[in-house]
Amino acid sequence: MNTELIESITKLIIEKIGKPSEEKLASESGMVKLWDHLSPENQYIVTGSDSHDGAQNSNGLVKLWDHVKADESKSAGYKEENTILPELETRIGVSSPCHPEALQEWVTKTPARIGIGRAGLRPKIETWLRFRLDHGAAVDAVYGSVQQELLKSLNLFTVRTMVDQKEEYIRRPDLGRKLSEEAKRTIREKCQYKPKVQIIASDGLSSQAIEKNLEDVYLSFLQSLDQLGIEYGTSFYIEKGRVASMDEVGEILEPEVVVLFIGERPGLVSSESLSAYLCYKPRKGTIEADRMVISNIHSGGIPPVEAGAYLGSVVQKILKYQASGVSLVRKEG
Amino acid sequence: MKGHEQIISAGIDIGTSTTKLILSRFTLVNTAGTTQVPRIEITNKEIMYKSSIYRTPLINDTLIDMKAVLKLVEQEYQKAGVRPQDIQTGAIIITGETATKQNAEEMLHLLSEKAGEFLVATAGPDLEGIIAGKGSGAQQRSKEMGKTIANIDIGGGTANIAVYQAGQLCGTCTLHIGGRLIEFENDKVKHVSAPVRRLLKQLGLSVKAGDQAAFEFICPVTKAMARILGNTLKQQLTEEEKVLLLGHPPDWKVPIDQIMFSGGVSECMYGQESSSGPYMDIGVYLAKALQDDPDLRSWEWIPPAETVRATVLGAGTQTTHISGATIQVDPVRLPLKNLPVHQLDMKRNLEDGSNKVMNAIQQAIQVYDPSLEGKNFALYVTGLPFLRFRDVQQLGKWLLEGYKLQPHPSNPIVIVLQDDLAKVLGQTLQAMQSDRDVICIDQILVEQGDYLDIGNKLQSEVVPVVIKTLAFHS
Repeated sequence: MNTELIESITKLIIEKIGKPSEEKLASESGMVKLWDHLSPENQYIVTGSDSHDGAQNSNGLVKLWDHVKADESKSAGYKEENTILPELETRIGVSSPCHPEALQEWVTKTPARIGIGRAGLRPKIETWLRFRLDHGAAVDAVYGSVQQELLKSLNLFTVRTMVDQKEEYIRRPDLGRKLSEEAKRTIREKCQYKPKVQIIASDGLSSQAIEKNLEDVYLSFLQSLDQLGIEYGTSFYIEKGRVASMDEVGEILEPEVVVLFIGERPGLVSSESLSAYLCYKPRKGTIEADRMVISNIHSGGIPPVEAGAYLGSVVQKILKYQASGVSLVRKEG
Repeated sequence: MKGHEQIISAGIDIGTSTTKLILSRFTLVNTAGTTQVPRIEITNKEIMYKSSIYRTPLINDTLIDMKAVLKLVEQEYQKAGVRPQDIQTGAIIITGETATKQNAEEMLHLLSEKAGEFLVATAGPDLEGIIAGKGSGAQQRSKEMGKTIANIDIGGGTANIAVYQAGQLCGTCTLHIGGRLIEFENDKVKHVSAPVRRLLKQLGLSVKAGDQAAFEFICPVTKAMARILGNTLKQQLTEEEKVLLLGHPPDWKVPIDQIMFSGGVSECMYGQESSSGPYMDIGVYLAKALQDDPDLRSWEWIPPAETVRATVLGAGTQTTHISGATIQVDPVRLPLKNLPVHQLDMKRNLEDGSNKVMNAIQQAIQVYDPSLEGKNFALYVTGLPFLRFRDVQQLGKWLLEGYKLQPHPSNPIVIVLQDDLAKVLGQTLQAMQSDRDVICIDQILVEQGDYLDIGNKLQSEVVPVVIKTLAFHS
């Protein structure tokens, strides 16, 4: 697949007439906001590519006109200046619910698509667009790649696994667990040998997870390690890596604990969820039960900054008991 | 990651007529999945011990017999087989007319010191109603049925109303309606309390000490009380009827579907007490008048899960909250008691944050420590946008800058967050300076003007928190 094409398609910019400045906001956050198409104001949804020529936005755009007339609008209740509707997940889509309070409570309790209403037998347009958008975002997250600037700003150098193409990465999990010969050499050259804690990052199945969360979780984690007085080695980034790639790193650098930040398989709720895998002395042949994970690190799950702060105490516990995963639970008693 | 933890909670209610105590055992469990950051919740509350109902020991009309109350609590602990140091959380509430006694505040704080590791002193007519509504089961029922239920807790001195809709508190109101407002002795009236005297004057009636305690004399008074209660629930109080109002008028904005009675007087209504018996007051007459009132009968009546023990049950089992599991606290600083809460609303953005923080801290000092004696407060930070790491650093800088205004650096910095960010903010504040201890907890909902008590750190790495009011009505 052509990743660039996908990238540009997903960058849906939604803009209100006469408010071109909003464009900046939408593209900055990277998340696509859908405008209230029921609002009395005449809005339309603009989709298009801005990745290369953001200025040229009046041509070649798809325009979806507001299909509901202002006087039929039911959304008079939304008086906020900013007419962006709250996220679908926090809003009732059923037109005239029997028990709005109860439904509202359920809807806010889960990010699943409940209480979305329907139009005849079909989902409503907004729900349907949102579904396709989320699906698109998930696909993108898998095929996308991580910006070099981000890694540079965090002082992470990049090494690769035995995988070449993303298609191969998906078909051959085994190759994603092994480092290339060059990678092994680079790691040996650049990294501190036998650190207490070795930190690695990898895109895994979601480059978005790294883009959105790595900086916050990583810096916050370093701060918590500093505060606990736990020293750490030279961190780096593995492109197209799998969780067990930490075993090879363990063989080379022999750290006590490896912490691997890796993108989770994206779903329709979030395509940018990050996991932190931790393992005490991972080596070739480490069994999965000895790994542990803190998952769901993203803006809609555990906030990345808080996850980082918490991970320090998990590492402290692993060092104290010299075990991780099921072995740690056993030792803790 | 540990299995579970149990803690003991106590509830003590010192009311107008009666004092009672309740002990319960809470089970704390990590309910998050193994791949998640822990989330500690109270999953079970088991009542271990219920004391008998004692007459509140008084020295005279204006003083509580503090020694007798302490002794009573000690005795009950012994009977239950617990020591004060086993009590890890809970609340004492001083209710009704007892809260107006000269030494009410002293009594409350003494008991909170002596009767447990972390036992919280609470008072205030609104809080009485809220706690009773939870203890009676009204709150739970409104949540389960999605109805609006008013719980009316009538004890010796006051009727405390709390209205719950689908589990949420909608409003409160307190009235001078209670069993002990007219007392008897040997079939004669012994005492008529001040608010009732005002009501009598208005009704053109005369009931005074020494009068015959006959039903026909008392009946018009209790009937008037029932009528006023009905009009309060309907929010149709006339100016004259406000004579029985204690504090603010009813403040809920929804019509009430069902009503529930708890408290000592409800015991008479549900037939557990038949004569004016041991109490020698108008409790029984009042119960009868409430039952016969046509207005009150127009609502559906729901029997309470607890009658006379509703408030003590609420105090013992419904006041403790558990903080988030990822917090940053200095254990030597705990427990912290009676901290007033000052809110800092960031309004979902960090723009002008430096000023927002500075103003909030300045205000808090002005309000809670005007003469700069070093009275501390808890800063409740709400409305935070999604924070990046650099935003946390920025916020930390602003906070430390603001806290320089506090004259006593020996006080810890106490910050309460709505969102799950306490650990990172606490660590950031500590990384930036080492002069002051930091207590930073999260996932607690409080309000401006509440008071907060923070208990000792438990094994599960959380702290128990009690949110309360401390208003002694006069």
